[in-house]
Amino acid sequence: MYRWYGSLGVWEYPVNRLRTTVACPRDSIITLCSFFRFRSRMIFFFDPTETHSRDRPTQKETHREPTLPIHSPSPLLAVLSFSGFTEALQIHGGLKPMLLYVLRSIRISSRARYPLFSGFISIATSKMRDVKVRANYSKSTDEDEILSVKSTPEIEKKYVHRVYDAIAPHFSSTRFAKWPKVAAFLDSLPSGSVVLDAGCGNGKYLGLNPSCFFIGCDISNPLIKICSDKGQEVLVADAVNLPYREGFGDAAISIAVLHHLSTENRRKSAIEELVRVVKPGGFVLITVWAAEQEDKSLLTKWTPLSPKYVEEWVGPGSPMNSPRVRNNPFFGLESIPETEVSMKEQKAESSPSFGLESIPETDESTREQKAESLPETKDSLGEHKDENSVEELLEAMKMNQQEYFVPWHLPYHRAEVSGASASALASGLAKKDDRKGAVVYNRYYHVFSEGELERLASDVDNAMIVDKFYDKSNWCIVLQKAALNQD
Amino acid sequence: MRLIVHNMLTCNIKGVVNKFPLRIEAEKVIKKDVDFNPDFLRHMLAKIEWKALVDGARSMGYTELPDHAPALESDEPFLKKFHHALLELNLEEGSLVCQETGRKFPVEKGVPNMLLHEDEV
Repeated sequence: MYRWYGSLGVWEYPVNRLRTTVACPRDSIITLCSFFRFRSRMIFFFDPTETHSRDRPTQKETHREPTLPIHSPSPLLAVLSFSGFTEALQIHGGLKPMLLYVLRSIRISSRARYPLFSGFISIATSKMRDVKVRANYSKSTDEDEILSVKSTPEIEKKYVHRVYDAIAPHFSSTRFAKWPKVAAFLDSLPSGSVVLDAGCGNGKYLGLNPSCFFIGCDISNPLIKICSDKGQEVLVADAVNLPYREGFGDAAISIAVLHHLSTENRRKSAIEELVRVVKPGGFVLITVWAAEQEDKSLLTKWTPLSPKYVEEWVGPGSPMNSPRVRNNPFFGLESIPETEVSMKEQKAESSPSFGLESIPETDESTREQKAESLPETKDSLGEHKDENSVEELLEAMKMNQQEYFVPWHLPYHRAEVSGASASALASGLAKKDDRKGAVVYNRYYHVFSEGELERLASDVDNAMIVDKFYDKSNWCIVLQKAALNQD
Repeated sequence: MRLIVHNMLTCNIKGVVNKFPLRIEAEKVIKKDVDFNPDFLRHMLAKIEWKALVDGARSMGYTELPDHAPALESDEPFLKKFHHALLELNLEEGSLVCQETGRKFPVEKGVPNMLLHEDEV
C-alpha cells in the first residue's frame, strides 16, 4: 500500500511478517515521523537518486527474499525496527539521540553493498526478541515447524544446492588436494572395505585407498556427473536420508558436508544416517568447518546471517535472533562518522540490547577476529538500564555467530559455460563482480563451534566417539558404531 | 550402476515398509571388466542379499547365478559368476522400481537418482 505522508511517498508492506515502511526521503527525520505515524515495525531508507523505488512497491509482498530495489553498488540503506515510539525513545534515551543514531546509521549503511537482508542494520527491541523471527529467505509459514527433518529447507535449496549445481565444474577443479587426515583414515581401513561417502562432491576421496570399494553420493547432479565420468560408483542422494539399507558399509565418511545443513535436527539426522549405514563396529569420519577459523581474515569475506535460520523456536533473549550488523564485513566500519557525532554520543545512543556497530567491544580479542576495527571506547552504558543482561547479550552475539554466507567467485568464462548463472543473476541469487570478473554466489554455512560436533554425535545412541580433533580450521570426529551384543 | 550398489539401495519414501530390494527395469546394460579379487568377493558374500542379487542379475540379462549361494564359498567357478554379476554388469539406462509404491528411480548414464520429491519425505 502506498500512501503519502507530508511530501513523502511511503510504502507499507509486510517484510518478514512485520509491517514495514519504505520511504525514499531526503529528510530522514520526516521519514522517521512517518514511521511512527504508521506504527510500522521496520523502516527502510534509501536514496531515491539511486533506486527505482517508486516502480516496485508490490515486489515485497510476494517475494520471499527482500532484495530491495537497489541497483546501485553502494545504496544508502538502513533498517530500523521498533516496536513502538515510546520504547524507542526509552532505549535511546531521548528523541535527539535516537534521531542522531538514525542519521548516522544511514550514512554508515551507505557502505553496504550487499542487497540481501543480511546487509542491513537492524535494532530489535525487547518485544522483537520475543517474536519468532525468521530469516527473510525462508518460507515464513508455520508449516515449517511440522515439516519433516528430511525435507530440504529453502535456504539450502537456494544457497547450497543451486549454487553447487551452478559452480560444479569450477568447484571441482579447485578440489584436488587430499586432506592427509582423511587419507590416513581411509588408508587405515582393512582391505576390501566398502566405504560410503555421503556428500562426495567431485569424488575426491573415492578410490583413494585402492584396496577398498567406494560408493559415493551427493545431492548435486552436476557434481555426481563429474564423478561418474571418472568411472566412480556414485548416485544422487540426500545425506539426510540415505537410500541405503542398514549395516552395508564397512566405513563411512562425510567430509565438509554437515555444515551445509541449516538446522540442528538435520545435522543430527545426517550423523545418524552415517552410523546407520555402517556395519556394527564400523567407523565413521565426519569433518566440518569450524567457527574458529585459523585464518581470521577469512571471516571478513563471509557474510554473517541473522536471524538464525532454524526451525526451532527462537525465544526471548536468545542471541540468535539478534542482528549481526556489527559483524557484517560489508558495513565499512571505517565510515563511522567520528566527527559528525562525538564518540561519547555514539556510545550513549546505542542501545546495548541491539546489535549495533557502535556497541563498545567488551572483549578485545574477539574483535580482532574481524579485520576492520571499531573505534573502541569503554564508555559506560550507564544511561541504560539492565546493564548485565546487555553484556551477556553482547557476549552471546559475538560468540554465537555461526551462520554465514560464504562467497564463491565463479569466473565469467566459467559462468557462461554453466549457463545457470544467467538465471541466477536474474533472480538475485548471484551478483556480478566486474572488478574480479566473476559471478559471486553465496553458499550457506553453519560453522561448528568447539564441542558442537561432539555434542551432536554423542546424542547418537549406538555409536561412540573414538577420536576427535581440530585440523586446518575443521572440527573432525571419528565414531564407531556399537558392535552387536554377543550372546 | 552395478549390482553391488543395487544390493544396498532402498526406497526411502515415508511410510514404505517393503523398501528393499528395488526391481530393476533395464534398458541398457553394458559389461565392464573388473579385476578378479576372491578375497573381496568372499567379504561381500556375507553382506549380499542373495535373492536380490539373483533377481537383479536376471533383470540385467544374466541368468547364470545359482538360486542359493553354495555352502562351499571357495568354489572358483561360482566366484567367477558372482564376480561377473556383482561387479561387471552395469546398468546404464533404466529404472529402479519400488516394489510397494511403484515409484521409479531413474538410472541415467549409470547414475541412479534416488532423490525424493517433497511429498514423499
